[in-house]
Amino acid sequence: MRLMKILVKATDLTKKYGQLTAVDAISFEIGQGEFFGFLGPNGAGKTSTIKMIHCVSPVTSGSLIVDGAPAHIDNRALKMMTGVIPQEITLDVDLRVHENLMVFATFFDIRRSEAKKRVAELLKFVELEQKRTSKIDELSTGMKRRLLIARALLNRPKLIVADEPTTGLDPQARHLIWQRLRQLKEQGVTLILTTQYMEEAQQLCDRVVVMHKGKILREGVPSRLIADEIGREVIEIRIAKEEDERIIGHLSSLSCGHERVGDSLYFYCRDGQDLMKKLLEINLHNYLSRPASLEDVFLKLTGRSLIE
Amino acid sequence: MNLSYRVYHVFFRNLISYKRYVVPTFLVSLIEPLFYLITFGIGMGAYIGYFGGKPYLYFLVPGVLVSSVMLSSTFECLYGTFVKMVHERLYDSLIATPVSAEDAVAGDILWGAFRGLISGTLMMIVAGFMGIFAASLLNLLLLLALMVFVGILFASLAMIVTSVSPSFDFFNYYTELIITPMLFFSGVFFPLDKFPEWMKTLSWFMPLTHAVKISRALFSGSFYPGLAVNFLIIFGLEAVAFLIGLKMMKRRLIK
Repeated sequence: MRLMKILVKATDLTKKYGQLTAVDAISFEIGQGEFFGFLGPNGAGKTSTIKMIHCVSPVTSGSLIVDGAPAHIDNRALKMMTGVIPQEITLDVDLRVHENLMVFATFFDIRRSEAKKRVAELLKFVELEQKRTSKIDELSTGMKRRLLIARALLNRPKLIVADEPTTGLDPQARHLIWQRLRQLKEQGVTLILTTQYMEEAQQLCDRVVVMHKGKILREGVPSRLIADEIGREVIEIRIAKEEDERIIGHLSSLSCGHERVGDSLYFYCRDGQDLMKKLLEINLHNYLSRPASLEDVFLKLTGRSLIE
Repeated sequence: MNLSYRVYHVFFRNLISYKRYVVPTFLVSLIEPLFYLITFGIGMGAYIGYFGGKPYLYFLVPGVLVSSVMLSSTFECLYGTFVKMVHERLYDSLIATPVSAEDAVAGDILWGAFRGLISGTLMMIVAGFMGIFAASLLNLLLLLALMVFVGILFASLAMIVTSVSPSFDFFNYYTELIITPMLFFSGVFFPLDKFPEWMKTLSWFMPLTHAVKISRALFSGSFYPGLAVNFLIIFGLEAVAFLIGLKMMKRRLIK
């Protein structure tokens, strides 16, 4: 990582909307060619952060350098090299599928002949050739999302910013989008992603930061974050709170940590074998053992209670 | 202020998307002013008879022409822009490209003016069939230029309203309290001479009044120095409204 050229460098980056501080003096670096994820619950400041990176939202304070230049709403050169996959479906419903791409290409000053070539390539890439002349209303959500990806690639971007690109998709559609995004990695594109799906982050990201209330809580490679924060396995026991003391007494020497949330007691372990043996010894069969995931890191860091 | 040639890209996008609505919008652009011409011109004209030496229709056409430009460009930059901004989120995708917020808004204002020009031109053709023409070919060209100025003016004013509008309902204040009275206080349907002094003063503050005066002169061919003042008022107001419209829309679009 340290050998990479730095594409995005934020120092004490802050975003305020009136009294509300959405992004609170965060610092991070993103290398060229890296797939970098911002994780966090609703209102964590992920979208605000990436909007500043792709120059549609002004920086309140701190510095944000993208490809050697300060990110700024009037920085057309940065917008020229960036592709944006928005969270909302912002396709032009007045235009047909291929017109959406052709018209969007004009915004980047792409010549008509060149645009035609790229549109044909991209429709193939996102498997929408059959829908070339369809109306936007006739597409499924998955198709619309794929078209948004094709649109984001029209200007052959060096940097792609994707804000929750698979929200509301079924597993097939989601996997197709992941595959396409991974294909871009081979071409040396840098991807900045926000997501609430931990699986998505694990599938796509080289490195992630977990954000909460405008701050970065942790930063790292997903597998390392899991190992450091949680361990390898999680054992969930559904049991009344009154039993906590007795069970923890039996098991604490065998686990790295435990946590009580609602009706469940969670144990985090490097190796769950001994702990499970012990559970059977004390006649407890109502447990679930599973590998630790980024979701556990996320929930541990941002709290398991509901975030409105 | 960050304007560039990309204004044209936005205009072009509107033109491409427009082709699906050409027929309905042509009909709307035509029917509303035609309705005024028929009801007032022919119906009321029959009672009024001659008006300054000519049939009433000659009085009516120049005013209805600029009114139709006003209405078309106003509605385009109220409802049309609002739908693109709030419902279709088109502006959000535009400003993520090298097209700036100012380019996008200016492109929409020019588009609104173009829609006004189409309505006005259709009206002019209809008036031609009724035997009413601009005084000369030069006047015809000047009339087209006037329509562009009036279109940009009312598109810009509408843009200011759109920039602060929370919903469609808000537009009613503007159309009912400003645009509709403007139709009746600007000398479109009858001369302002018989108005009491305060109403004359009020009508002087209505930009349409000045446009109607110029339009009428271009049809009749009788010019007088006061027209220069009318034009300067339109042009000055237009420049101010354009800049304020851009600024306020930018504030709404970029947070």
